[in-house]
Amino acid sequence: MFRRQFLCGMAALLLVAVFAAAQTTSHNTQSSVNTKQRKSRESENYPATLVQQGAALFRQDCSFCHGRDAAGGESGPDLTRSKLVAADVNGNKIAPVIRNGRPDNKMPAFDRTDQQIASLVAFIHTQQKAAQAQGGRRGNGGRKGVDPEDLRTGNAEAGKKYFHGAGGCAACHSPTGDLAGIASRFKGLELEEQMLYPRHAKSKVVVTLASGQEISGTLAYLDEFVIGLTNSEGVYQSWRIRDVRYKLDAPAEAHVDLFSKYTDDDVHNLMAYLQTLK
Amino acid sequence: MDFLKKTFLTLCCVFVFSLWTLAQGADEQTLLHPPPDSWPGYHGDYSGKRHSALTQIAPGNVKNLSLAWAFQTNQTSLIKSSPLLVDGILYFTVPENIWAVDARSGHQIWHYVHPRSSGEHIGHRGVAMYKGYLYFLSPDAHLISLNAKDGSVRWNVQVADVTKGYWTSMAPLVVGRHVLVGVSGDFDNLTGYIRSIDPETGATQWQWNSTPPAGTPNQTTGGMTWMTGTYDPELNLVYWGTGNPTPVLNGTTRPGDNLYTCSIVALNPDTGKLAWAFQVSPHDTHDWDAVETPVLVDGDFHGEPKKMLMQSSRNGYFFVLDRTNGTSLLTAPYGPVNWTLGIDKEGRPIPNPAKEPAPDGRLIAPDEGGMTNYRSPSFDPKNGLFIVDAHPSWSIYFAKPADGVYGWAGADYGVWGKGIIEAIDYQTGKIRWSHEVGPGGSGAGVLTTDSGLTFTGDASGNFLALDSSDGKTLWHAGSGASIVSSPTSYELDGRQYVLMSSGGVLFAWALPE
Repeated sequence: MFRRQFLCGMAALLLVAVFAAAQTTSHNTQSSVNTKQRKSRESENYPATLVQQGAALFRQDCSFCHGRDAAGGESGPDLTRSKLVAADVNGNKIAPVIRNGRPDNKMPAFDRTDQQIASLVAFIHTQQKAAQAQGGRRGNGGRKGVDPEDLRTGNAEAGKKYFHGAGGCAACHSPTGDLAGIASRFKGLELEEQMLYPRHAKSKVVVTLASGQEISGTLAYLDEFVIGLTNSEGVYQSWRIRDVRYKLDAPAEAHVDLFSKYTDDDVHNLMAYLQTLK
Repeated sequence: MDFLKKTFLTLCCVFVFSLWTLAQGADEQTLLHPPPDSWPGYHGDYSGKRHSALTQIAPGNVKNLSLAWAFQTNQTSLIKSSPLLVDGILYFTVPENIWAVDARSGHQIWHYVHPRSSGEHIGHRGVAMYKGYLYFLSPDAHLISLNAKDGSVRWNVQVADVTKGYWTSMAPLVVGRHVLVGVSGDFDNLTGYIRSIDPETGATQWQWNSTPPAGTPNQTTGGMTWMTGTYDPELNLVYWGTGNPTPVLNGTTRPGDNLYTCSIVALNPDTGKLAWAFQVSPHDTHDWDAVETPVLVDGDFHGEPKKMLMQSSRNGYFFVLDRTNGTSLLTAPYGPVNWTLGIDKEGRPIPNPAKEPAPDGRLIAPDEGGMTNYRSPSFDPKNGLFIVDAHPSWSIYFAKPADGVYGWAGADYGVWGKGIIEAIDYQTGKIRWSHEVGPGGSGAGVLTTDSGLTFTGDASGNFLALDSSDGKTLWHAGSGASIVSSPTSYELDGRQYVLMSSGGVLFAWALPE
């Protein structure tokens, strides 16, 4: 199994290298055309048969989570609004995700041929383009996107009051410090998701060995049996939990305590306030 | 003398019974009373308790548990199925694939590959067996009967129309001379149903629809039937959970309770007639299918002997019903829930209209995946505990007029969740012990054994054996991938095996020989 994972990893690396090479060539020949224009022209040029093949494959393997129209399904994100898809050029971003999956987000890996992946890439880009052309309106049956204007129903003043008062946000955050310009960095749904729970926030940990030596770093792994950290030099180290003591500093967990306290108005007001921090 | 005589007679009976089962495959008696060397249906026996009477592996020796063998599917599809075991051979699946594997050695006997078909390939929960034949549902909603000897196809019938948006992924339930199948299909406004099929010919015997035909004014569609039900042979009733209504997140075109969506239904397996129904989520707008295993338990409830049905439902509530008539004995949350106004006098949660999806979002617990999902819970009769892999979670739900009234009709996004193995006292709904299994949550089901062990898995891919009395970890092994299946157990040649899968690999654990 490990050998297989290794081989898959090598295959993915190779693929990335090939795409990178292709991209470089493309840059050399079309250096005057910016990436966005080039990509949109390419997506216009995907052959209809390739897009159709991709649509059929997408329906079988991807649509449960991402929707038949790629606009989101039961648990996966709306790919027509995906930043990764927008930044993808001929599969250089999408293909590695398909081949390797996203274990952290519970997306499995898919063992598909280059041709099959090319068809999926063609379909996804075509769907993104169609969604953009329709101004976000979708066909029937899919999960629908959330627009930034949907999330502007709250009262910013009330949100500010909550931030500095009942919400307890000011204990960790400052509108002129860590949150300065937050509304420029994140918009709409992404901002709301960050606000409710910053899922990619890192935790710090201090591990005390039996000798009394203390080692600190960024938490890299934790289950019931093993704790792992990455130290300031980027080196990963781990220990059996039974052999050490550890102290976790996981500030994002304070967000979890708020879930049962928020009213929906609190969420909307807080969101309105954060949207003023441009 | 008397003792020797009795022993001799017992041995004779066991010998004759073994020969008889060997010759019969999964016949009615095997399905009604599975011997220790079998697991003839998705849940093992008909009760859905997923409790093994085997005791060789026990709290005192489980730390020695070691790998007997592993079987590699060499597929990226995750194993979600529960392997059947009949006559020493395991049968399990991923979408489009069935394997027959020797339960002693883990070597492949045959591998059936169904031609790549349309329809969702999201998962596959396994096959059913009757006598010498297997029953397999394909993503394009065909039921295929295969000869268990070699995987050759006997017949193939369509059970739903994939072009309308149906697909199939469940393990059928064999009851008497009926193969009961259910269907999936949430992305279109479709009627859910259970169909009974003749095991020999593939002919349809009856069909029970959970909702009216699509297009009926002011009526719901949906109520998909994508998980295997359970069966009480004394009452001759089959118990089945039904899925959410459609459109999924927008309830405006389907006023009222939306029967029989998000319900537990009791049907006569010979006629398909509804005996009773209990709706666990009236007028659902959060995709909380009530298809989780309806677990059948005979025992005391507050001092009175009862024939009970228990479900830890996706909507966050644990239900105990009297399964003779569907009346409520207990309704209690088993994690954070914030979508109700209380419980009505029939024991049903009352949905709070203010918590229906809205254009600017509503913060909801649990999330769409729910407080639990298809992974199996287990009932441990010794400790009186219902043990479930729970998923406390929060999410935001959106719906606006522009999203329409077809299919999903809205959007929802999980915000946070974690996994906890919870041991619920079924008489009070109180959680007697809990065991954290990691951020995001685990997809592993639960198996309990008579020796006092609880087998499950955590969010990091560790297989776990816990002490059923207090939830303490007694054994673990890292599996290297996500666990999204439920454990099973059997005894062969006097050796107890525990089967668990992760990723595309099936692991058989046993004590060293």
